[in-house]
Amino acid sequence: MSDHNELTDGGIGRRDFVKGLGVASLLGATGLSFADNGMTGLQPVDDPIGNYPYREWEDLYRDEWDWDSISRSTHSVNCTGSCSWNVFVKDGQVWREEQAGDYPTFDDSLPDPNPRGCQKGACYTDYVNADQRVLHPLRRTGERGSGQWERISWDEALTEIADHVIDEVQAGRYDAISGFTPIPAMSPVSFASGSRLVNLLGGVSHSFYDWYSDLPPGQPITWGSQTDNAESADWHNADYIIAWGSNINVTRIPDAKYFLDAGYEGAKRVGIFTDYSQTAIHTDEWLAPNGGTDTALALGMAQTIVDEGLYDEAHLKEQTDMPLLVREDTGKFLRASEVGLAPDADEPEKVFVMVDADGNLRAAPGSLGDRDGQHDASASIQLDFDPQLAVERSVDAEGGTVEVRSVWANLQDELSQYTPEFVHEETGVGENTYQRIAREFAEADAAKIIHGKGVNDWYHNDLGNRAIQLLVTLTGNLGDPGTGVDHYVGQEKIWTFHGWQVLSFPTGSVRGVPTTLWTYFHAGILNNTDPDTAAKIRESIEKGWMPVYPSEREDGFRPDPSTMFVWRGNYFNQAKGNVAVEEQLWPKLDLVVDINFRMDSTALYSDIVLPAASHYEKYDLSETDMHTYVHPFTPAVEPLGEAKTDWAIFRDLAEKIQERARERGVQPVQDRKFDRTIDLTTIYDDFVRDWETGEEGALAEDRAAAEFILEHSEESNPSDSDERITFEDTVEQPQRLLEAGDHWTSEIKDGEAYVPWQNYVHDKEPWPTFTGRQQYYIDHDWFLELGEELPTHKEGPASTGGSYPLSYNTPHGRWSIHSTWRDDPKMLRLQRGEPVVYLNPADAEERGIEDGDTVEVYNDLASIEVQAKIYPSGEPGTLRQFFAWEKFQYPDRDNFNSLVPMYMKPTQLVQYPEDTGEHLHFFPNYWGPTGVNSDVNVDVRPAGGDSE
Amino acid sequence: MSTNEDTNINVADGIDHQVAMVMDLNKCIGCQTCTIACKNLWTEGGGTEYMYWNNVETKPGEGYPRGWEESGGGWQGEQGEAHTDRQPGDIPSQEDYGRPWEFNHSEIMYEGSDEPLRPREGAEWGPNWDEDQGAGEYPNSYYFYLPRICNHCTHPSCVEACPRQALYKREEDGIVLVDQERCRGYRYCVEGCPYKKVYYNTVSKKSEKCIFCYPRLEGEGPDGQTYAPACAEECPPQLRLVGFLDDEDGPIYKLVEEYEVALPLHPEFRTQPNVYYIPPYAPGQHTEDGESVDVDRIPREYLRELFGDGVDEALNTIERERQRARQGAESELMELLQHKNPAKQYRLGVFNDDD
Repeated sequence: MSDHNELTDGGIGRRDFVKGLGVASLLGATGLSFADNGMTGLQPVDDPIGNYPYREWEDLYRDEWDWDSISRSTHSVNCTGSCSWNVFVKDGQVWREEQAGDYPTFDDSLPDPNPRGCQKGACYTDYVNADQRVLHPLRRTGERGSGQWERISWDEALTEIADHVIDEVQAGRYDAISGFTPIPAMSPVSFASGSRLVNLLGGVSHSFYDWYSDLPPGQPITWGSQTDNAESADWHNADYIIAWGSNINVTRIPDAKYFLDAGYEGAKRVGIFTDYSQTAIHTDEWLAPNGGTDTALALGMAQTIVDEGLYDEAHLKEQTDMPLLVREDTGKFLRASEVGLAPDADEPEKVFVMVDADGNLRAAPGSLGDRDGQHDASASIQLDFDPQLAVERSVDAEGGTVEVRSVWANLQDELSQYTPEFVHEETGVGENTYQRIAREFAEADAAKIIHGKGVNDWYHNDLGNRAIQLLVTLTGNLGDPGTGVDHYVGQEKIWTFHGWQVLSFPTGSVRGVPTTLWTYFHAGILNNTDPDTAAKIRESIEKGWMPVYPSEREDGFRPDPSTMFVWRGNYFNQAKGNVAVEEQLWPKLDLVVDINFRMDSTALYSDIVLPAASHYEKYDLSETDMHTYVHPFTPAVEPLGEAKTDWAIFRDLAEKIQERARERGVQPVQDRKFDRTIDLTTIYDDFVRDWETGEEGALAEDRAAAEFILEHSEESNPSDSDERITFEDTVEQPQRLLEAGDHWTSEIKDGEAYVPWQNYVHDKEPWPTFTGRQQYYIDHDWFLELGEELPTHKEGPASTGGSYPLSYNTPHGRWSIHSTWRDDPKMLRLQRGEPVVYLNPADAEERGIEDGDTVEVYNDLASIEVQAKIYPSGEPGTLRQFFAWEKFQYPDRDNFNSLVPMYMKPTQLVQYPEDTGEHLHFFPNYWGPTGVNSDVNVDVRPAGGDSE
Repeated sequence: MSTNEDTNINVADGIDHQVAMVMDLNKCIGCQTCTIACKNLWTEGGGTEYMYWNNVETKPGEGYPRGWEESGGGWQGEQGEAHTDRQPGDIPSQEDYGRPWEFNHSEIMYEGSDEPLRPREGAEWGPNWDEDQGAGEYPNSYYFYLPRICNHCTHPSCVEACPRQALYKREEDGIVLVDQERCRGYRYCVEGCPYKKVYYNTVSKKSEKCIFCYPRLEGEGPDGQTYAPACAEECPPQLRLVGFLDDEDGPIYKLVEEYEVALPLHPEFRTQPNVYYIPPYAPGQHTEDGESVDVDRIPREYLRELFGDGVDEALNTIERERQRARQGAESELMELLQHKNPAKQYRLGVFNDDD
């Protein structure tokens, strides 16, 4: 840096220097002059434009454009990118990376899929040799978080962990052992490494998609499916695209092209964002609803579409619950059993009722009681009669006459509240503008909504989802190119599902847990929330709708969690309710082990850190629902220092556990929940065995595990075809998947972008809901009690975090993928080097804050010190902090999540139907409470202000 | 100036062909993948750390280096006049560029420090400090992103400024280079470039600049392959077209000369840049009642300041063609601006048989 100081401090480089001195004196001062032709090699140049004689020096840069080898890899981060990169190696070190740029084009009418990547992927090389890199096994010597470590040997580390784990399992506390790792698709082998060991131990596997509030609960509620989305190439097929709270240009950099180019293809692009966002700037029209009012806006648009008759009547009749009858007295659906219909169905009380054109009651085909479970491709919802949409009448049911109305009639009542005046008052969007957008959307040939975290982080995210989904349902924009609600938050889905599943959970008996509930339960939410919510949480656990581990023992005692393994994620830093997690949950854990290539906040607050291979030092696979390809990680270099791949680390730990268990002579333990014994004396043998073929030792290496996934998945090795994708194929070039397995809702077709929901919309399979249709009416007791049987607009909780004037938003930003790259100097140099908050100029001025000032952001939970940045495009009354800054980037080690309390919504703790749960039942990442965080209030003041 | 014998395009006297780039600002999302691509390749060490041969700045804004648009350089006189007298210019200070901060990772992570992670020397300004800021008042604020490299000008004032004639323009492709053997670090080029795209290296005591990735263009790597500059190849939305201005069959010629939708930045500097920009359009403004109105969000006068008077016609042409596309009509211009045919994106070998 001293050289740069010279430029300024020495005065040579100051702008007045050149101004103040003549050319002659400048040259004189440096001992040179124009006459100095005697200097080596310096001859006059006749004309440097085109006729320069001394060009040999150009080899200087040519020599830099040189490398020894190239390996194909990518980045294991939860960004949905899944971009294939070439990693260049020079002199035994990774030098740089560049997008491989060789995804095969499947449709020439769409923009080229290449090159996928972003600025962060373009500098992952920095991490390989970074100061942050964990090079050796480390054991904490100071307090958690103090950064005081001793270097220990692998054997020492693994022995300590193994002995602890053996103690826990033998004491029956195997369900006090947690494994947290998110997002299989970003590196399924690495995901499976620890999950496989935890599964063999009888431990707990954590959900992530719901925990991160990436899961849109409205989709399981309405469509009976976790999510299913078009790949991003399909955006280009739309004539009308609404980006609704999805900041594509920041969070989907590799896919943004399809949105940008669509504008030149004739599509209209509308942005719905509270701020004039980085995506709003490249739209044709921007709508700016007040924060948290998306539901009101969507229902207002729905009202316009219904009121003006712009809806797709055939779609509503066949594909939705709109014609189904609901009892006026109970709010429950009228069941076929109540009116003597569907006598041959397995469960007529789970068959629903419509009215045909002649006014006759008819059983709705495809209802749960008339098909084989949630998914039944052999059943059909196709109608052989024409049902009435608007029904309001009485029917003779067992027990007497009851008044019934169709869902459509109920929905019309609900929507009638959303008058232009109300919608404008609530959202701030112009009456004419939103109604015109609704009409344009309804009249477009193919209209699509790209939906994201901006809507999904609110307490009432389920209502928001349902309202926005209603727009595509009303207009029949489902199942065809360029349509749908594409919800992209998190790389939740993995194409090669079966292979990944059996690799990760070989016993088939999985102790999955909803992480939001697990975290908040153990961080004390029952004593720290309103009584109604606390009661509902208790009821959900007691009824077995949602599990919490460790389980309650027969004597009514529930142990605390004791042990946590974290890998491929930064659980501690990213935990909403951060203060409670640090103060209440973390001390309960006797042993926290973090497996990491870098010292992130979770690693810093762990007891033992194990050095993991970087993304350029291992074999794995990469997939995303943004595209339909699979491509690999391959090692460009050997793991640095003593690092090992995730697979090798958990394999070696299994080996150590087996060794120590045998030395200690432990006996198998009977699992209290599953019909299996946990035998630690064979756990390594079990870890490396191929459970599909029984071959011993087959899965010792990560590459074999990757091949196992491809071999055992329908997507890469279809059962009805000789075609298959091998690992070697993916190294050659990214491979487009061959088929979609049964966790997808359409086929992958040659020459077409993947578009979901075709199994239902075109093939007429029942939707996997209670009614077998897109279900906008939920007659669960809790939904009725809370007035949420239909999508409706509700105010969020009022004083989350306390009564403060500013709304606190923590959106995904441009400069990191969650916390990865937050600490990277190259990225930080293109920001301000430290955490910033974005403030509207008026809010800042009112508080005496100027751009660049250090400020305190505070509420009842915490106060954090950050830098203020003035953002004229931010709405007044909102403080925006792009999330995932590490705890160690704040002076007091509180972070962006310290201002967010624990809160969650009871409607997401249910099972539906209440007794059997086919439609909604806990399944990790598919259904469970979301960790919301956008209803929080804060204020901001100059640092060192009033409170001091 | 001469008319190349093969084409009707004016390139500099003595230059056979002129490399050129078109950047579509309606596809720039400010992700800075270009910036990182360039930095990793050319400016990682040895005094280059502070340099961003390619940078992306938010407009309106101070840019990189801070205030470069007001820093002088280029040529004096009215547009169209001969390039004779250079305009005096300034040399930006190190703070105007921003210092390449070093951080205290090791102390915090491994040595027990309870300090926060911070730039060791503090941070007052950086190359992207005013990112996303722009101008105007919510909800009618505005901003957009402007990626910048050396313009490899037809009349490069940096070349003229060098008393040692250590800068030159290559005969075969018009790329402007600083001879790293001949340069003595006087910095007249830094001062003379109105775009401030020549940088002084205090370690090597020489000036350096964007080289248009000529080793990539020349196929000088171990694989012998020809690549466009890294900033273009690595751009995720592929907003850059790379080729020769005098390639009449190429998209650059069509966008610059035929459709006249690609414009030079600050033409009043009179260096005749060979990087051209498709000017940005934006959604209309909002009334107090939240209604959309057809009023320019980005003040047209501001765009004229950046891109000259041609911006009105350019934006009209783009809007007209977008309307046609919306109505289902064929539009060559709209096709050119989409990334459907990578073969047309980079036309680097068209004149290879000339020699």
